[in-house]
Amino acid sequence: MAEAKWLEISLTVDGELAEAVAGVMDGYVSNGVVVESGVNFYDDEDEGTPFGPVKVYGYLIIDEHLEENRRRLEEALWHLGQIQPLPEPVYRPVMDEDWMAAWKKHYHPIPVGKKLIILPAWAEHKDSGRLPVRIDPSMAFGTGTHPTTQLVMELQEELTRPGDQIIDVGCGSGILSIAAIRLGAAHALGVDIDPASVKATRENAAANEVAGQIEVGLGSVAEVLSGQFSIRSAPMVLANILAPVIIRLFEGGLGSLVQPGGVLILSGILEEQADKVRQTAEARGFTWIDQKQLGDWVALAFRQAS
Amino acid sequence: MAKKLKAVVRLQIQAGKANPAPPIGPALAGHGINIMAFCKEYNARTQDKAGQVIPAEITVYTDGSFTFVLKSPPAAQLLIKAAGIEKGSAVPNKTKVGKVTRAQIREIAEIKRKDMNAIDIEGAMKQIEGTARNMGLQVVD
Repeated sequence: MAEAKWLEISLTVDGELAEAVAGVMDGYVSNGVVVESGVNFYDDEDEGTPFGPVKVYGYLIIDEHLEENRRRLEEALWHLGQIQPLPEPVYRPVMDEDWMAAWKKHYHPIPVGKKLIILPAWAEHKDSGRLPVRIDPSMAFGTGTHPTTQLVMELQEELTRPGDQIIDVGCGSGILSIAAIRLGAAHALGVDIDPASVKATRENAAANEVAGQIEVGLGSVAEVLSGQFSIRSAPMVLANILAPVIIRLFEGGLGSLVQPGGVLILSGILEEQADKVRQTAEARGFTWIDQKQLGDWVALAFRQAS
Repeated sequence: MAKKLKAVVRLQIQAGKANPAPPIGPALAGHGINIMAFCKEYNARTQDKAGQVIPAEITVYTDGSFTFVLKSPPAAQLLIKAAGIEKGSAVPNKTKVGKVTRAQIREIAEIKRKDMNAIDIEGAMKQIEGTARNMGLQVVD
């Protein structure tokens, strides 16, 4: 068996102590310190607040200096512990790995619905008879592993008509726009308020060889309605964001993006939020036509009156 | 409550020098974060700050996608600079290694305030003073 190359040292402390512990650790470990916390949500509007115990950790190189470094680090922590009580450090040997490749283990081809398959950028496409949507997981939501993404794709599969135009509000990685083209849509407009998402959609569209059919831009509902892009409305509109944001977008004219008789697919909605989103849509003349659920997440499909 | 966010990971690393070796590799690989994409972006955004520790606060989504913002250098590093010393005391409760003035504490509190939970400048200064004492620095007027 290969020998461990690194010794991970970690302390789990409360938030206030984290900086002091990180400061001490930084003097002895290799290349810097990591401070990791979970997130909590105090209400629907909360976008996530760091919460709970904080794990502070770093790595010592296993070499002839290990024992000396470890002793000095433990001494420094002991002295800090004299000022404020600290838990015992926890050690864990870590093998050297190809970290550039290690993160990729989280991604595998994911068949969605009856026709689509999400492929990580590096995966080979064995002919599965499914339509491939290739995504490079990076700095934009929509790697394909999240239920909210898969639910929209299932509804798209059933509701997209060949030759349709679609608008994808909050396009993230561009995954839904690419899926739309694969399913026969003629043109997709993806907008996002995050420049990283605009860039990711462009890159993923190019990698899927559909860049010519996907228009991408910075913005949201208002920018589309104001005519900054080639279309102001479409027979199919998608928004995979979060329920409170979707409800706000309705106030900003989300419904007006959908042409008469057209379809609106909404996702990023928790089961207990579904009624409120449905009522908001129905109050604006939409009729519920379908929904899908995976775990706690629900996606809803509506039709605009003709 | 199941939301789209999973964790917040703060990396205290050298500007312009992010690479896949520990701690970045294991810290990010476990969450399925695209390590090369992070390193490239971090190095590009911090290349003009060589020699400083510039923390990156990474928000990890449950599908492995992420965003990050850069934070001000850790208080300890700013205090070391202010005191003109090389490192903090190994025995902070006994051996004092240097001094910082209250004016310097205020200056550091101003820099750090946007990243801290402190409501006002006095609260921020109190936290920075605490960090200074934990490093074996005396705070003088």
